[in-house]
Amino acid sequence: MPLVYSNRPLSEVVENHTSLIPMINRFGVRLGLGDKTVETICQEHQLDTEFFLAIINTFLNEEYFPEKKLQTFHSLQIIDYLTKTNQYYLRFQIPNIERHLNSLISMSNPENQSLNLIGKFFTSFRDELSARIHHDATVWFPYCQSLNSRLSEERIPGAFTGMKIEEEGEDTIESLLADLKSIMIKYLSGEYDQNLCYAVIFSLSSLEKDIKQHNRIRYRILTPMVSAMENQLNS
Amino acid sequence: MQRTRQIAIILPDTLQCIGLQSVLIDYFHPVEVSCFSSFTAFTSEGYESFEYYFTNADLFVLNSEFFLPRKNKTIILVQDAAGEYPANYVPVSSSLEVLLEKLRDVFAGESLVNHLTDEGKDLSHREKDVLQLIVKGSTNKEIADKLNISLNTVLTHRKNITAKLGIKTVSGLTYYAIMNGFISADDIDV
Repeated sequence: MPLVYSNRPLSEVVENHTSLIPMINRFGVRLGLGDKTVETICQEHQLDTEFFLAIINTFLNEEYFPEKKLQTFHSLQIIDYLTKTNQYYLRFQIPNIERHLNSLISMSNPENQSLNLIGKFFTSFRDELSARIHHDATVWFPYCQSLNSRLSEERIPGAFTGMKIEEEGEDTIESLLADLKSIMIKYLSGEYDQNLCYAVIFSLSSLEKDIKQHNRIRYRILTPMVSAMENQLNS
Repeated sequence: MQRTRQIAIILPDTLQCIGLQSVLIDYFHPVEVSCFSSFTAFTSEGYESFEYYFTNADLFVLNSEFFLPRKNKTIILVQDAAGEYPANYVPVSSSLEVLLEKLRDVFAGESLVNHLTDEGKDLSHREKDVLQLIVKGSTNKEIADKLNISLNTVLTHRKNITAKLGIKTVSGLTYYAIMNGFISADDIDV
């Protein structure tokens, strides 16, 4: 997929990739884009154009992940973006899937055990995701921010004991979501409303795509930044 | 997950190479295509890693020692469109539609093989035993003790179960087991 540049009208890009709408909303950019270029819109919203473009491009192209470039952004910018995506999951995407799932269950045959099981599986996924978001907001992100402020302040002497850094491996959230989708596609049985079922799978997929990007930034950008800051403080 | 096909194009004509390459990438994802302008250039690379070869009739004849044993995996571009050709001969004047059909047939031979291995995707009796214990919340050690097998064997079974089902998480395995009747929902907390 061709990369998006700063001189392209944002509306043109969004028309081709409507999945970007929630993404630009997170940056405070609303529809009614007119013919303004990405650059103009970023200026109007006081956004870092380079950062905005890097996020858009990595979202659109799964293959594209300019690690070096992303590492040049400020850690607070990265944390801010990850916080916004977390908020978006909690406030919109999860309730949206729940709404579809609840109507799928209530509109289908109540005897359908497989749907009830899917409902329970989703609930356990939701709890897991909420727990991670809560941990991010109360422990992990504040810790990253504290490293950052300690670096900018006068150096406090003494060894610095770090927190256990998150590592990229199998991400539970991603695996749970993939399993949930796969189980619906492969093992759903009994009578159910096909249209609502598609709505559930569609919304699960769009959350999956979003979380994948979130995780790439989380593990490949933020984590190395944090270890670098810890090393600096310890040196 | 489909695996990536490794393809070598050995053709002196650069435009033919580029054309074939883009057709393969567009329509037969996932592929990894390498282009070589001559057979010498091709052999100087580690050619053993390729699964399919695209070449022309001249190069095929000149290097038949290499190509003949691999002729099921070789697609030959020919100039003349008249007359009947074996399945893996592709006239360069073919329409895109015909070309795609030819290529699909070549690759279909391979997916038939994959299909046979699909049959092996059912869990063995032992794997079902292990699965039932996993979803009941047993640790690897407990499973080993209960089934009287080594810890390593338990790990191997777990690996195979995940590979066969494509399900990675314990929650996923639990719902799989219930939905397929390997365990009753009453036996565990969900």
